[in-house]
Amino acid sequence: MASSRDDFIIAIRSAFLKKSTQQKFSLLTLVFISIFIIVLSSFDLKFIRYLKAGISEAVYRSSFIVSIPENFLKNTFFEIREYSTFFKNYKINKEELNELKSKSISDKITQFENEELKELINNYTLSSDKLLAKIIVDHDSPYLKSIIINKGSKDNIKIGTNIYDRSYLVGRVVEVNYKTSRVLLLSDLNSNVPVTIAPQNIQAIITGTGENYGEIKYIKEGISNLISQDSIVYTSGTGAIFKSGIPIGRVDVADTGSSKKFKVDFYSDFSQLKYVFAELVTKIDVKNEDQKVDAGNSQINNTVDTKLQILEDEKKIIEQTNLKFKNENELLKITINNLNKQISDFKNEVYDQKQIIAQYNIDLDEIEFLRLNLKFGHTCRKSFLNNDGFEVGTLEYKSCVMNKGQTDE
Amino acid sequence: MSNFKSRGFYIKFYSFLPIIVLFISVLNEFDLNYLKLEYFSFNFPFILIFFFTLKDFKNFDYLLVFLAGLVNDTVVGLPLGISSLSYILICIATSYLRNITIRPNPIKDWFYFLFIISLINSINYSILTLFFSYDLLLLSYLVNIFFTFILYMFFAYLFKYYLKGLND
Repeated sequence: MASSRDDFIIAIRSAFLKKSTQQKFSLLTLVFISIFIIVLSSFDLKFIRYLKAGISEAVYRSSFIVSIPENFLKNTFFEIREYSTFFKNYKINKEELNELKSKSISDKITQFENEELKELINNYTLSSDKLLAKIIVDHDSPYLKSIIINKGSKDNIKIGTNIYDRSYLVGRVVEVNYKTSRVLLLSDLNSNVPVTIAPQNIQAIITGTGENYGEIKYIKEGISNLISQDSIVYTSGTGAIFKSGIPIGRVDVADTGSSKKFKVDFYSDFSQLKYVFAELVTKIDVKNEDQKVDAGNSQINNTVDTKLQILEDEKKIIEQTNLKFKNENELLKITINNLNKQISDFKNEVYDQKQIIAQYNIDLDEIEFLRLNLKFGHTCRKSFLNNDGFEVGTLEYKSCVMNKGQTDE
Repeated sequence: MSNFKSRGFYIKFYSFLPIIVLFISVLNEFDLNYLKLEYFSFNFPFILIFFFTLKDFKNFDYLLVFLAGLVNDTVVGLPLGISSLSYILICIATSYLRNITIRPNPIKDWFYFLFIISLINSINYSILTLFFSYDLLLLSYLVNIFFTFILYMFFAYLFKYYLKGLND
């Protein structure tokens, strides 16, 4: 027993510490270095950030070069597949193009209106430039869904920069190096985007599933039934992580029997991305006419600043009040709905009771008729001796009985 | 003379082929995920490292394996050191198996491989979820372990041919 334990200890010690002729480090040393690196990478130190950025820069470039043959084969495969459905797609695209051309004009008008309204709401406007970026690494890992683009801090890319495929949202930047950046795709499990579902105007959050679709989560109770098939999902801009109004995908309602699942089919196919757009946003203050005129006078400027501060505070208060009113409004709506439901229940109850009363009255009449029938039935019934009588069951007979044997005449 | 030199280069290249393939696979994520076969993924570096460290292949330096892990973390986007630790743990496991084995048996190696990759992926999953708050699908890990285990024998067969070619 003791000898087998010794053997085990010897084997373990040998596995950890013994170096072969070619090995420069023992495995135990390498384990400690690995753990040290893991611990270091969990701290957000400046030195480590730079080191990581350096390693990432070199590795992403190498990965791009190494992936060239595989990417070539992959792209050839996809191109061949595309050619086989080329004509069919051409016809569909032509129709879609005609529709889109007509929609495009009204969209532009809406966009201008939107910009004007945003300027009115805030005292700043956002100007954005879209920067074309090439995807250099696109390994579809089963665990993490991300891509590497060839633009980094040198090109003013920042953490959180929104990334687009045409005008559709693809994800946001989560790691920035000097000339490369990592983009977390919407399909990643760690991706959460605040969205609006149109036309119902429902606020929700979509999360990635690790597959090529998203799932609507964190939706207010009771309003999920309003979501219909093919509803459009776009960013709401809540939390200021994503710009508002960027299209994401369409809702696909999957009924699983007991509950409904709301999938979001992304407009963009993340596995087919070659180039993407990174949106560089700059905040420009909107100066009103008064400020421009009084630019030279610092004292007046101070006054204007104070006024602006007051106005800003006032705006905040109004926003807060507005929010409160909205909440109250929501509560009132719920109360109204409940009351309406109660009214409807009461109406049903009253109707049922009326029915019972009516039945009771009929029963009373019947009993009265039967009682009188016993007494006066023989005077009203037509018989050999009573020629003036009536046939049993007729209205005249009933009337005669109810009149205690006296006819109407 | 030049012919002799070029032959020497090829022999050297051939003998370093496993480590070159390891670096290509971590840089390229060679796992056929882009084929979009549902529920299909496998970890090629695990198979490669397990096989060649088990055979105590002389040109398969632990330091290079460690560096390959760092490269893999950078490419995949995991915290640095996670894959290095996984790869080194495989090396330790194979070294231990070598020490206790008198008569090697491929089937025993195969099931030992299943145990080791399950253990390492569990450690991986635990570190990522507990310390780095990653959201991960456990099913993906299970599927990955299953296919890595299944494909081990196929690749082991290919690698044996490679070793045979090297000895010849």
